[in-house]
Amino acid sequence: MSAEVNQKEKVLEVKDLTVSFNTLAGKVQAVRGVSFDLYKGETLAIVGESGSGKSVSVKSLMGILPQNATIEKGTAMFKGRDLLKQTEKEWEKTRAREVAMIFQDPLSSLNPIKKIGLQISEIFTVLHKMPKKAAKEKSLELMRSVGIPEPEKRFNQYPFHFSGGMRQRIVIAIALASNPDILICDEPTTALDVTVQAQVLSLIGEQQRERQVSTIFITHDLGVVAHVADRVAVMYAGKVVEYGTAEDVFYDPRHPYTWSLMASMPDMDLDQDEKLVALHGTPPNMLVPPPGDAFSERNPWALKVDFEKEPPMFKISDTHYAATWLLHPSAPKVEMPHVLARRIQKSLERKEAKARG
Amino acid sequence: MIKYIIQRIIAAFFTFLVIVVVVFFVIHSMPGDIIDLSSKIDPTVREVILDKYHLNDPLIVQFGYTMADYLHFDFGYSLKIRPGVPVLQVVLERLPITIQLNYFAALLILPVGLILGIIMAIKKDTVFDHISSSLVILLISVPSFVLAALMQYFLAYKLGWFPIILEAEESLTWSKFYSMLLPILALSFGSIASIARTLRAELAEVLTMDFMLLAKAKGLSFRQTIWRHALRNSCVPLASTFLYLFLGVLSSSLVIEQIFSVPGLSKTMLSAINGKDHWLTMGIVIFYVFIGLFMAILADLSYGIVDPRIRMGGKKDE
Repeated sequence: MSAEVNQKEKVLEVKDLTVSFNTLAGKVQAVRGVSFDLYKGETLAIVGESGSGKSVSVKSLMGILPQNATIEKGTAMFKGRDLLKQTEKEWEKTRAREVAMIFQDPLSSLNPIKKIGLQISEIFTVLHKMPKKAAKEKSLELMRSVGIPEPEKRFNQYPFHFSGGMRQRIVIAIALASNPDILICDEPTTALDVTVQAQVLSLIGEQQRERQVSTIFITHDLGVVAHVADRVAVMYAGKVVEYGTAEDVFYDPRHPYTWSLMASMPDMDLDQDEKLVALHGTPPNMLVPPPGDAFSERNPWALKVDFEKEPPMFKISDTHYAATWLLHPSAPKVEMPHVLARRIQKSLERKEAKARG
Repeated sequence: MIKYIIQRIIAAFFTFLVIVVVVFFVIHSMPGDIIDLSSKIDPTVREVILDKYHLNDPLIVQFGYTMADYLHFDFGYSLKIRPGVPVLQVVLERLPITIQLNYFAALLILPVGLILGIIMAIKKDTVFDHISSSLVILLISVPSFVLAALMQYFLAYKLGWFPIILEAEESLTWSKFYSMLLPILALSFGSIASIARTLRAELAEVLTMDFMLLAKAKGLSFRQTIWRHALRNSCVPLASTFLYLFLGVLSSSLVIEQIFSVPGLSKTMLSAINGKDHWLTMGIVIFYVFIGLFMAILADLSYGIVDPRIRMGGKKDE
């Protein structure tokens, strides 16, 4: 399995990405040495709670960080060049054509007083210097492909005529218009209601398979991750704490934070008198990150060393890594929460049953 | 949309009526006799004049006569400023120079105000922004006539760069235009400042919006995102401001024309009020009120032109 994964072509290689924000209170260390790889045609899901630095990481891959953010160090190798060193002029050639992005809130990401059609076709007229008529044809075709009914009529309407799901379809169409190599989805379903979420997710999946575009998918919804991801990076306090294929992370989680996240997810197998596990506390203040493991304060399995020294990335398999001292050879043996172990057991059984047919 | 326009016109008509009534009674309650200057006048002639203008009747009856005349578009005659000349003719004669001044002021206000506002918004929180913001606040706070007087004293009188008052020449020649520069500048500064200030605030806000990020993510350059997305959006609240600003220019020309001796409509109105030339005053006031209400209607409609959400607001589905 892992050998096969490793043969895939690496599209993007992010190493030691570090981003901080200059605020009045001081320097906020939003992203602290994040590394991950993106393979051709695959989906990498970045999971984490709000403020864990997932959005900031991918915004630096689009060159759209806010003014007060600085990339301290790190590289993001893409097609033999480092994206993080690009000037604004070079970014204008990269954005949309090579790296495109779908944003969180479709209600505010379209210009409210510009016709939907023009917002799509301006990509063709301005970026690709197409004549108006051809651009309109291309836009209609694109609208059809993302499932907009009656595109001719919809072309001349404004965003306020569209529902949230329809707007997100338009945003997806805009992102795909220039055939990018990498598609970044920044919580694309968070602002939508559940029925629409499923539709938008399957649309993204469909388009991704069709166009063989590599996708980075940001979310805090593990259910979504299970749906879309080939690989998963779990982020906490600006760091990747666990990284592996979807199977690695879902069936063999090693980091206590991943355990807590997964155990706190409600599911149908829960017994009636059983309490849902909740993760207590809040993430640390990133103005002054704690000296040891950032998760130690909330970690029920924390060791003494967790409060003193940051854990390195321990290698579990060729594809699976986790940053926790629990993986150190001399650490005490710790079992994952009972609820989680049972849940994984059940889903493995289901999977086998499915495989047998 | 048509229904909306008709509603606005009807509302404007009633506003117009109220203003005319109030102005009539205020003007006529000024102390003193309309023909008090001419105390040596033959009493019989005086009686004839009083009769002719129904001045012996109660004010309410006079009001009735005046309104009846106005219904026939008869605005009466000037009594003292231009004795015997129909009010309409006086207005039409004095109008061109006032319009010219306002026209040139507008030509200066719009581009300078817009460009200044855009640059300030893009360079927000830089030295340029801080300096021009302070300057803008200064220009908004100082009344135009103070600026006019200062410029007249220093630039025209002390330095002699410009003529002190407007050239009396009727047609628009270069030297006449040259002498118009100071009044134009005095009329423009305040409006330039308020346009720049509003646009800076609006544009700076639009620039932080999500759809600007998407526009950037689409691959548009910074310049293109400004032109294609930010500017029109920040003009929604500005659209009406523009039109009201021209009213502001019109009203500041009341004083500016006085300072630079411009023989325009505003100066005539001041002399008419002081000279108790009531029909002339009424005529000019009606003209101004008409322009003002017209601008207000245009301003309301302009929202709908720039913002489809307002234009189509009433309709559920388009």
